[in-house]
Amino acid sequence: MAYSDKVIDHYNNPRNVGSMDKSSPEVGTGLVGAPECGDVMKLQIKVNPQTSVIEDAKFKTFGCGSAIASSSLATEWVKGKTVDEALQIKNTEIVKELSLPPVKIHCSVLAEDAIRAAIHDWKKKQDVTKPVAVEAQ
Amino acid sequence: MRASHFCSACGKVQPPVPVDYFSFFGFPRKLNVDTGLLEREFYELSRKLHPDLYARAESREQEWSMEQSSLLNDAYRTLKDPIKRTEYLLRLEGVELEEQSKAATEKARATGEVKKQVVPPDLLEEVFELNMQLEELRMQKKAGENDPMLIQEIGKQKMSLEAKYEALLNELRGYWDQWDKLVDSGAEEDRRKVRDKMLDLLNRRNYVRNLVRDVTEALESST
Repeated sequence: MAYSDKVIDHYNNPRNVGSMDKSSPEVGTGLVGAPECGDVMKLQIKVNPQTSVIEDAKFKTFGCGSAIASSSLATEWVKGKTVDEALQIKNTEIVKELSLPPVKIHCSVLAEDAIRAAIHDWKKKQDVTKPVAVEAQ
Repeated sequence: MRASHFCSACGKVQPPVPVDYFSFFGFPRKLNVDTGLLEREFYELSRKLHPDLYARAESREQEWSMEQSSLLNDAYRTLKDPIKRTEYLLRLEGVELEEQSKAATEKARATGEVKKQVVPPDLLEEVFELNMQLEELRMQKKAGENDPMLIQEIGKQKMSLEAKYEALLNELRGYWDQWDKLVDSGAEEDRRKVRDKMLDLLNRRNYVRNLVRDVTEALESST
């Protein structure tokens, strides 16, 4: 099976590879895996607490070219979006952009899952760190 | 009852009827299979269905014996292997792994709920960390370096993974017993629960298997 040019491009020059401090309150981490192929994908986002805009994103994926390309593309797409906008990203859009064949659709599903998991992790941190409203006496 | 492979009146080979592998041998859809019996049935049928026996028969009989023989081989190979047998049964029970995963993601998108990951987080962490170490090992190899501590550490993890792999098979056998009991008398809902537990377990096992494979490769090429 031949990879599309876009997949090869992301595979050879992955964007935003790396990691961020997992314990930072501004960072959300999503770690997901696809049992079909044994791939594992970590996607992290750094969110501005005032604007909810994703200012930075990093990923590290162990898996096939399509999984790497899907997560690389995902980090590019979430950057500059608010978390709510990022939650609208659909795996089918990743499939289309990268021209993934049917057998690689699960890679795009994994990337969408990773975005959601990272945002969920970040949101959870916000709930904890938010000052609790003091009840009126 | 075994699917009828031969005409009951004249004893001639029949075209294969579309049955599942369990019915092909006349077994119930249970996961504890008497492998001795399976083997005996296999040898008996393969003797009787062997295409050589039909070399002088009508062409459609030749064809049927060929089709039946190939079905027999597939059925035997699938049922003999404990994992293949379980995976096959799960497919018969309507499990479509990828479809399920896609559907769950779509649901998460629509409802804002969190998708349940089939692979437990602690296993994912372990997989991720070990992959990081493997990458380091490969990079060292490329640079012509050799870190005995790292190799030793990875070797230790490999052993723990192999133990985990074995343990998962035993755990699976426990579910087989639950499943088989429910086949005779059990609610659909209970069966589905056991089915999903088996599916979870096989998913975890796939992960561990791939990881053991990668670790073995990396260690072999670095020593």
